[in-house]
Amino acid sequence: MENVLNILFCLTLLYLGTTTRIMAYLNVFVTQGILLFVILILPLFNKFSAYTFILPVMILAVKAVLIPIFIKRKIMLELEVRKSIESDFQQFNFLLLCVFTMITVFVSANMLAKYTLIDSIPFAAAFSTIIIGLYIIIFRKKLIVHVIGFLVMENGIFLLGVSIASEMPFLIELISLLDIFVAVFLMGIAINKISSTFAVDDITGLDELKD
Amino acid sequence: MLTSILIYIFFLASAPLFIGVVNKLKSRLTGRTGPSLFQPYYDLRRLLRKETIYATSASIISRIAPVIGFVSLLFAGMILPIGFYKPLISFDGDIILFAYLFGLARFFQILGAMDIGSSFEGMGAAREATFAVFAEPIYFFTLGSLAFIFGCTSMYEIFHSISLNNPAFLVFISVASISVFFLMITETSRMPVDDPNTHLELTMIHEVMILDNSGLDLFLYQYTSYLKILIYATFTSNFFNPFNVQNHYLGFSIYIMIIFILIVNLVWIETMMGRFKLKSIPQYLLFAASIGILNILVYSFFNK
Amino acid sequence: MPMNILYLLSGLPLASGALFFTFNNLKVKYRLSIFTAGTHLIITYLLFAGFIAPPQNAWFNFDSLTKLFLMILSNVFFWVTANSYKYIKHSPIEKIEKSRQIFYNMTNLYLFANTLALISNHLGLYWVALESTTLCVAPLIYFYRDKESLEAMWKYLFLVSVGLAFAFIGILFLTLSAHGTEFMDNALYITVLVSGASKLNLIWLKAGFIFIFVGLSAKIGIAPIHPGEVDAVSNSPSPVAALISASLGGTALMGVLRILQILSWTSLLQFAQILLIIGGTVSLAVALIFMFRVTNYKRMIAYSSVEHMGIVLIGFGIGGIALTGALLHLIFNSLNKTAFFFMAGNIHRNYKSREIGRIYSLLNNLRWTGILFLISFLAVIAMPPFGLFFSELMLLQGLIANNQFVLMTFIIILLLFIFIGMSRNVFRMLYRTTDKSTRTFNEHFEFSHLSAIVLLCILAGLGIFIPEPLAKIISDVTRLFVHGI
Repeated sequence: MENVLNILFCLTLLYLGTTTRIMAYLNVFVTQGILLFVILILPLFNKFSAYTFILPVMILAVKAVLIPIFIKRKIMLELEVRKSIESDFQQFNFLLLCVFTMITVFVSANMLAKYTLIDSIPFAAAFSTIIIGLYIIIFRKKLIVHVIGFLVMENGIFLLGVSIASEMPFLIELISLLDIFVAVFLMGIAINKISSTFAVDDITGLDELKD
Repeated sequence: MLTSILIYIFFLASAPLFIGVVNKLKSRLTGRTGPSLFQPYYDLRRLLRKETIYATSASIISRIAPVIGFVSLLFAGMILPIGFYKPLISFDGDIILFAYLFGLARFFQILGAMDIGSSFEGMGAAREATFAVFAEPIYFFTLGSLAFIFGCTSMYEIFHSISLNNPAFLVFISVASISVFFLMITETSRMPVDDPNTHLELTMIHEVMILDNSGLDLFLYQYTSYLKILIYATFTSNFFNPFNVQNHYLGFSIYIMIIFILIVNLVWIETMMGRFKLKSIPQYLLFAASIGILNILVYSFFNK
Repeated sequence: MPMNILYLLSGLPLASGALFFTFNNLKVKYRLSIFTAGTHLIITYLLFAGFIAPPQNAWFNFDSLTKLFLMILSNVFFWVTANSYKYIKHSPIEKIEKSRQIFYNMTNLYLFANTLALISNHLGLYWVALESTTLCVAPLIYFYRDKESLEAMWKYLFLVSVGLAFAFIGILFLTLSAHGTEFMDNALYITVLVSGASKLNLIWLKAGFIFIFVGLSAKIGIAPIHPGEVDAVSNSPSPVAALISASLGGTALMGVLRILQILSWTSLLQFAQILLIIGGTVSLAVALIFMFRVTNYKRMIAYSSVEHMGIVLIGFGIGGIALTGALLHLIFNSLNKTAFFFMAGNIHRNYKSREIGRIYSLLNNLRWTGILFLISFLAVIAMPPFGLFFSELMLLQGLIANNQFVLMTFIIILLLFIFIGMSRNVFRMLYRTTDKSTRTFNEHFEFSHLSAIVLLCILAGLGIFIPEPLAKIISDVTRLFVHGI
């Protein structure tokens, strides 16, 4: 059953590769948050204790509710509506690149699974999420899309943690979630200031500081 | 064997009915009364009575292209499992024959279009060829992953091996059917790939290729297109047929129901969506193909 | 008794930082911050000299490496806070009232986060604390609220966050390398990893090291991910710049050093050392290239930070006596950069510009600042008797002892050209005269000059004579990495 969720996760990544609307990016991020929540509570169906429920619920709250609301309210309303589409971008090549990356990651995860003790499918799904999040940061121009790419990367790292079954204490996970939220908060404020100072909200304005 | 032949003839006869229902529903959804359900039959009968005219610059290709298209689709229909019944032709590797029968039909249609010598048909042919390039991987990746998992390469065998007990297969099948749905839309030139109602020359893809055909040729082309969409709809519906149904009649009525649901989906999409920009269609197709690739990646490593 | 130390050390900055959100009086905040910084310094020194025993807890680790880095942090923070009032009260640019209000809050929270990172024994806690330091420092970079600081803050925040995400992947790989061993459930405690290092899976350990090194290099400020730190340092007020380049780089470096400590028990040490040497040399080369192109003196000092961090990395990569040299180099670098940035801040305040081309006749106009700037510059290029000379000498000794003559020549040439590039700029600032000087400068001997003199004297003193506690700590640290001595 977990494999199904991981496949759905990869599907969301493919969708990230094809879409151009920023709201679609946000919806993908919300979907990934919900999928993470389901992945986390799956092994808990047998042992039902309130303590272990805190983390999945917090993840759902932060990733599926708080961060999207914050981004929608503070950023999308302040930017103009017509800026919610990212144009002049090589969509087809990006999707091709994403597909090739996924193929490479899955094949190498399968080879790795022969030597070490990992589940190949969750590991590969998580790693491809991280790499595609990185691609979004590298290849896109709008700053909000950079932030969402960073968030997707963090999703992937979280999934990697789940798939490796590392014993990361709950407190650490919670605080790192808080850290990420505050980081996104700061980035959101910075984006607002940047779009009002530089009058564009992509990275074409950020090239003053160089030698 | 006899039941298979009967079902096949029923299949052939109801191909125009499928389109009739689609058109009627589409009109209803946009507030019009619309043509009668059997209008495609009347159209076909009208075309049979007309005279076939060939362009002066046309060669033998224009005479044989419609026939080849028609005959290859007839054979493709024989390979397809309809409902729960065993198809007329079934052997190992017939999935490849299925794909390339369609390829043959498309090839001759393109040749026939270019043979007429008008630039309109050439433009349509070029677009058709481009989209076919991107559409073919979808079919092969989807069916290929299925063949890989179940270990058999006959279409009847593959669809019979699908059992809905394992939930993983359930998700896999529904995901694969999304790509096949995209494929159906592309191959049969429905929205959002191609608007079947547009007659603006710059935006036509399929209609422009048959612009200069008449009479028997046009009858063959039209009927071929009706048959094509019914074949693709049946192909998509095979993903959802619960094949461990014992009663054949129940299975067949479930098949009819699924076809109807597909019609509703198709109509809904056609009414709600506009056509994509021509340059974003390859990307749309690549998305469907990548779903197929994802299926292969995941499930080829799943069977350890 | 010991647990109280822990609470004081980490809790006091947290409390002050949180308390400062409730009122706005800058002077009171300043005095309270000095009190916090002073207490922190005293406790750290007592720990350092061994007068009080550190608390024992699974989560916290107070070995000699921690004590050394804590001392560096505490020292820098104290001097920075003591001098900060002047820099932020009278800044060249107005409309920064809001920045002033959060300055001391963020600085104290930064001290808390940084202390937590240094004393943590759990890699997850270390990562969380490191990310928190990024979040505390980012608003401080935006102090001047203009276009360049905005861009600097964005780049720093983003680059470092992405880098830290990579470091987190590396930490997860470390966990993976402990799979199948008996300490699998405690795999993130550094002491556990160190003691069980021989049982770890080498592939994942290698992958983990690479990811952590690359990720943390964004925070340390070495090539090729140095732009975040360089831009941040050059566009923020001097106290913040001193904090970032003198103490934050060290904290991030400690993560790399902990992994190195784990690796020193396995056969991967060679590989890690090669990576460190490559990283250090590339940083030196990058610092060289940009030293000739820089037009902003704060950027020049930032690139000098990149250079020195590169030297430290090379020292750790060579090992042996170069390791001792690298540790000393860290200490001396922090002292030096603090003094350097204070003087740069003075120049900025008086000349109202950061461009090298606009500074003229520094020695004549701002007597004290000019002299101290010159002396800091001499220290940073490793002139004796300042300590940096001796630590670089130890580095070269280590290179010779390992028969790395080609590398040594290369490094000497790089250092020489960095010296040339930097001195070109500095001497231009000090001696250039211009006809159109319409400003008159009044320079009095201020507290910042006193602090700079004290720091530079310590720097010179430590170069000649290393006191007993420091020598003991350094030899302890060396023993962490080199076994069998």
